[in-house]
Amino acid sequence: MLNWNLLVAFTSILGDVHSADVEKSLELMGKGMLGIFIVMLLIFLVIVILNKTTHDKNDDK
Amino acid sequence: MSEFGFLIKGVTSITWQMALMWFIGGLLIWLAIKKDFEPALLLPMGFGAIIVNLPFTGVIGDTGIIQWLFEKGIAASEAFPLLLFIGIGAMIDFGPLLSNPRMLLFGGAAQFGIFFTITMAVLLGFPLKDAMSIGVIGAADGPTSILVSQQLNSAYKGAIAVAAYSYMALVPLIQPMAIKLVTTKRERMIHMPYRPDSVSKTTKILFPIIVTMIAGLIAPDSIALVGFLMFGNLIRECGKLENLSQTAQGPLANLITIMLGITIAFQMRADVFVTGGTLLVMALGLVAFIFDTIGGVLFAKLLNIFLPKDKKINPMVGGAGISAFPMSARVIQKMALKEDNQNHVLMHAVGANVAGQIGSVVAGGIILSLAQQFLA
Repeated sequence: MLNWNLLVAFTSILGDVHSADVEKSLELMGKGMLGIFIVMLLIFLVIVILNKTTHDKNDDK
Repeated sequence: MSEFGFLIKGVTSITWQMALMWFIGGLLIWLAIKKDFEPALLLPMGFGAIIVNLPFTGVIGDTGIIQWLFEKGIAASEAFPLLLFIGIGAMIDFGPLLSNPRMLLFGGAAQFGIFFTITMAVLLGFPLKDAMSIGVIGAADGPTSILVSQQLNSAYKGAIAVAAYSYMALVPLIQPMAIKLVTTKRERMIHMPYRPDSVSKTTKILFPIIVTMIAGLIAPDSIALVGFLMFGNLIRECGKLENLSQTAQGPLANLITIMLGITIAFQMRADVFVTGGTLLVMALGLVAFIFDTIGGVLFAKLLNIFLPKDKKINPMVGGAGISAFPMSARVIQKMALKEDNQNHVLMHAVGANVAGQIGSVVAGGIILSLAQQFLA
């Protein structure tokens, strides 16, 4: 039999805060920021490659 | 006398919650007209807040126009916010970012406020799906906030939309305060020479296509947001669709803005808006904007540890990595000139600011992708 009270970290303004939710939010922060940086780094690499490969043509002039 | 009761039926049905929403609607209209705070959105939202909160209002219900607009334009497919992205994409010149791509990193770092706010919201007792929706206020991007809160079916959609647009208008007040908290005067005076590389037309055309593919492959849920933004930008940059580009930037964006503002008011009905949670959402929105700015600034300071003395980054530029364009870049330039009247960082800040527009839609998509994992 699970003791559900163990899952409640504390009671906040809007109600019980479960430690599992706090852990999830921190995991979300880690994964979310990592995901954004991976996408941004890939876009950065794409821009660098595009600038290098199309630079000489200078076709914007 | 009772046969004339229908004339006062509305008056006798007024509740204090309705009156409060009329006041809030009036306040939004006042902010739009008198203070010039995002008038294109706050005015329709303010007026909408009044008409949806009249007793027995005919604009909501099965045959109500605002409810119909909401169900078809937002609930069914998020058509309004997504179509607005075509217009926004057509307005953006990615040139300053393409010529100075390291600014992209700030577009990522300045999304920190989103995730910090999610944790704060959870600590206040919000369910995780509401916390995730509230955090996206930190994207500093109204349509993204609306779309994510709608897809996650948050109970605070109206408050989130109001907070997102209100704080965007308050960027000139919020950002200087947050930046001064975490920088010294000496750091704010750092000069950054601007030597942009030339950008070819081929790069400008390929960029929106490749970014859409990258975002779609890594965070499939971001494809609608990123794809429509980049579609608008491709129309602009292809050089063959000038009329369509002008239509997307002008009439399309204007029409959708009118519809979006008044439609969002559907979520401002007193029965769903007047709660203690709404006040907390407004407070958390402010936290999100402050920590976005702090995230970008601290990331620039971190990079400066590894950069040679002549290539240091003015940390304020990192704070411009939010989506509020071009307001944030202007704020940073104004602050730089205030510290040193020869310090011109505008083009760097514009690059970071444009990166913030990409970062915010990517962040929205990543939140939606993670929601499938965390809310399952």
